[in-house]
Amino acid sequence: MSQSLAPECNELKERYDTCFLKWYSEKFLRGIGTKNDNECEALFKEYKTCLKKVLKERGIDKLIEEAREDNRENDATLMGKKKCNGNTSRDSMHPFSTLTLGIFVAGYITARWDLVTRLYELAIFAWNYGVVTRAAKGFAVLSLLFLLIFLPVERLATRESDLRDGLIRVFWPADLPRSDLRGVVVGWRNSALDVFALAILEEVEPRNVEFALKTGTLLRDAPHPVSRIYELCGQSAIHILGLVNTPDTVEVDPSWIRVTIGPSRRVPAVACSRASSIQIILFDRPLPGRMQYISLNPIALALDDKHDSFRHEAPDGSEDDDETEERRRKEEKRRLVEKLKQHSIFKRIPSEKEKALVQIVNQVNWAWELEKLLQKNVSRIGTRPKRSLSVSERVVESATNARDMLVVWMWDQFTVYVWPVIKRMFVMGLMAHRIAAEVLLRILEWRVRPKYAALKDISATAQQVEIRLQQFCYWPMQYVTLRRRENDWESVTTSHPDYIRFYNSLWLVANDVIIGIALGSYIIDNAGWVAQQISQLLTEYTVEALQSSISWLMGWPAGLKLNNELAAFLGDLFLWVIDYWSSCIEALRPILPHIIWFIGFSSFAGASMPIALFSDLLSILTVHIYSFYLASARIYHWQLNILISLFHLFRGKKHNVLRNRIDSCDYDLDQLLVGTILFTVLSFLLPTVVVFYLNFAIARMVIISLKAVFDTLLSCLNHFPLFALMLRVKDPGRLPGGIRFELRDTQNFRHSINDSSQELPSTSVIYLKSVPLHFKAMFHQYFQMGHRIRKHYLAPRVLLCLLTGKFVPPLNRKNLYSLQYSMLPARRAGVMEMWNAVNSLPEPKKRMAPVHVPVLANGIKLPTNYRGGRPRVYG
Amino acid sequence: MLTTAPHLYIRRPSPTTAEFTVTTCPPLTVPLRLLLLTLHLARILLFSAAVLALYARFLEPSQHSHQHHHHHNNNPIISLFLAGNIPQFLTTLLQTAHRSQPGTLLAQLTAPLPDWAVALASLGVAYATVCFRLHRTESVLVLRGLGIQTCTISGKWGWGTQTRFIPTEQIRDVLINEAFRGFEVRYYLIVVVEGEEDVVVLFPGLLPRRRIVEAVWRGVRGCLFEGDGGGGEGDGKG
Repeated sequence: MSQSLAPECNELKERYDTCFLKWYSEKFLRGIGTKNDNECEALFKEYKTCLKKVLKERGIDKLIEEAREDNRENDATLMGKKKCNGNTSRDSMHPFSTLTLGIFVAGYITARWDLVTRLYELAIFAWNYGVVTRAAKGFAVLSLLFLLIFLPVERLATRESDLRDGLIRVFWPADLPRSDLRGVVVGWRNSALDVFALAILEEVEPRNVEFALKTGTLLRDAPHPVSRIYELCGQSAIHILGLVNTPDTVEVDPSWIRVTIGPSRRVPAVACSRASSIQIILFDRPLPGRMQYISLNPIALALDDKHDSFRHEAPDGSEDDDETEERRRKEEKRRLVEKLKQHSIFKRIPSEKEKALVQIVNQVNWAWELEKLLQKNVSRIGTRPKRSLSVSERVVESATNARDMLVVWMWDQFTVYVWPVIKRMFVMGLMAHRIAAEVLLRILEWRVRPKYAALKDISATAQQVEIRLQQFCYWPMQYVTLRRRENDWESVTTSHPDYIRFYNSLWLVANDVIIGIALGSYIIDNAGWVAQQISQLLTEYTVEALQSSISWLMGWPAGLKLNNELAAFLGDLFLWVIDYWSSCIEALRPILPHIIWFIGFSSFAGASMPIALFSDLLSILTVHIYSFYLASARIYHWQLNILISLFHLFRGKKHNVLRNRIDSCDYDLDQLLVGTILFTVLSFLLPTVVVFYLNFAIARMVIISLKAVFDTLLSCLNHFPLFALMLRVKDPGRLPGGIRFELRDTQNFRHSINDSSQELPSTSVIYLKSVPLHFKAMFHQYFQMGHRIRKHYLAPRVLLCLLTGKFVPPLNRKNLYSLQYSMLPARRAGVMEMWNAVNSLPEPKKRMAPVHVPVLANGIKLPTNYRGGRPRVYG
Repeated sequence: MLTTAPHLYIRRPSPTTAEFTVTTCPPLTVPLRLLLLTLHLARILLFSAAVLALYARFLEPSQHSHQHHHHHNNNPIISLFLAGNIPQFLTTLLQTAHRSQPGTLLAQLTAPLPDWAVALASLGVAYATVCFRLHRTESVLVLRGLGIQTCTISGKWGWGTQTRFIPTEQIRDVLINEAFRGFEVRYYLIVVVEGEEDVVVLFPGLLPRRRIVEAVWRGVRGCLFEGDGGGGEGDGKG
């Protein structure tokens, strides 16, 4: 039993209710007390007086009066319409007023008798001069004109206008239950000839349905606010759209559709008296409980469109060459697009139907949940049979209630005493963690000067730590957003990408930690062996290989006749440095196992940590190669420049720096002589420098590609769309990548509806399907990163740099890591923000003892496993 | 004979909905059907030969371990299949095929080749026979009040078809453009999409001739926009 409005009347209401139910089930239904014998009347009166008193106290009675007044007016208008339709005549006038009118007319005539005589004379005059016949002729000519010209023209115009708006579009869920029963289709009316069917209410009267829709009975017991439905579906009300399986003899509203369906008919046959052509668009409803939905645009797996700006606002005055080039190309393209825009001369104004597409997508997403709600409330339409519980049912109910009461009591104890403590401790731990993360992040992001590189820009480890910390800071916020979802309808799809992102990053971190534990335990167990291997590799490749290659270059390598003295000088120089470096490595050797142990230990924070550490270790341990490369590149570059300018001198020209061109120049004899001699000497010495330079450049390139491999591994561990991939395999409906229409053959469709006598207008049957997200779109970020790396390193510019000995700049870390930051917001939420968010979480709902409500079926008996649609299993 | 120049089919169940399909598949006559059937059979044969070659080289257990299997006839194979024991069925089938005359011939033929050559060749043949498609079909579906949907094949060796739906609200214009391609001029249909940098080319793989393109253009204009049956005839070509 529902509660009364006023708590103090609860008891009275309960008494009245029980009395009424008893009378209803025991007497009324058995036909004993059809007369209104007033055994409950006294109770009802008591309850009424109690309620009235309370209402007066609270000042609601006036409101009720107003509402009643309103209702009366509405009823009056509704009734009035009905009366006009029903062709009832008005009552005759009151006899007294007839008498008054008669007296008035008689008096007027006697008073103004001369006026009457004048009128009489005028009539005689008109008759004598043939005025009447002429007027009659004129009237005949005019009516002929009207019949011959105006009527056909009007006919044609109406038919034309009929043809113009003759296309009706019907969206119809393909998985609606199909039965032969009569019914009423309810749904959204997006515009006059654009309807969206939600549900078929079977065996009900359209009049009752209309009333129920107006009063909102059909949306009663909604778990969440109903206004949200209207807001998201873009319509203000659910309408009756038409009738199902009704014989043609029944008169219907001309804007309604007639639908014929049946268990054997997959596609409904639709007819509408106002439409000359019909599009039936069938769709399978996405299941909101499984988070399926459709959308016009592909689901965004990355937090998009912000890391672009993130990159631009970076304090980085000297942007890369490829970036400027990219910008230039974009600018060019924008100009082309402008030109294309100017090409189209007229702009069409989209019609109502065309603009409705976004709404319709939302309506499709809502279709399942709304149909469930409507079907649940069908039983409320019309008369409402009720029955009380039988004795056995009462026994079962009280038994379950007793058990449930115990569970509820224990649950209450838990929620009241234990749960808040646990929650509080967890939140405090979270906040402590957040504050520590903030401090660390500040350190990692600290720059000596705004233009200088921060720690995270230099070291892969710092970068990795920063990403993890940022993720830890973002998770609580994400979780709070996702929790808010529970207080809303399931069909609201805006947070589904968030859900995927959140679990993807959680899952990646979990995966990372699992792999890391395996890797870490292996490294720790075999620390000695790993350290030995690494030191061996170090000595073999960074010391001995270099030494042997340098001594090879100091002889005559590959039959090249190099300059002995210069080669010996350069070689010795490099060899000394290498010797010194090898002694450094020797000093490092005893602590190497400890470093390896540390790396192994760090991998319990995820396999990405040791990889980042190895990447940094590689850069530190090959610092000598880097410096050799820098030195030899410098020497080579200088020499090349000197050679070029001496060549100009040799030709009697010089480079004009001011105008950036080659001018002729009169050199003195001694200048020419010295310059030429120097040119010869330097060009003979060039091959020696070139081979040394090439040697170190190749070594440098190898190291860069090794680091690129490490970075790729890192980005795989940090950003691989694992969760999305799994969802794509398990349930493609959760990753929408757009929609697709499929035109069905109407030949057999027409054939199958031949049995019905009516001639159907031209119909096209279209299936609306969701396209799952393409794999290419999932890895879009990877493709972009690969493209960027390729453009940076495999460009002719790099080759030119290598050939001229200019320094090849490494790819900006920010570019490389934009992929990983695409999962994080550009600005992380502050500590206080997080505190507020965590505390704003809604309290978990109190578990109530389940109330057993018997299913009331109206009209027809539904099977017990009836669920309104095709049976589906939630999993 | 198996393919023709691209030609157009139009499906138009109601005046407001039309599908334009451009295909290289000629109308199916009886001889053509027979030819296609033989072609499919040849594909199946080639595929099974490739699989058999792989099996014989890499998966076949030692030669003399199953001498006693020799007198098995076909019945157990079928019974295995009916019993639902698919892996057993497959291995038995492969063994039988390997021991048959064509199987031994195939083994003899591939015997002089090294392992990697056999693996590469058979994998390549298997892939080619599975993925090769003889005909290319591309289509455009026009729905008044909804939009245009293009359906294209990703490539000659590609697997799936790619569809793209453009809502009417975003369609700025549909027009015919011309471009140089090699030493010829091609006319092609494009859809200019609002707020997008690139135009969408209809029938991008086949690029049919001007006659077809014009017919499709007229059809699309007539079907898509209410009220004007291809109003601006002159400005269609830009």
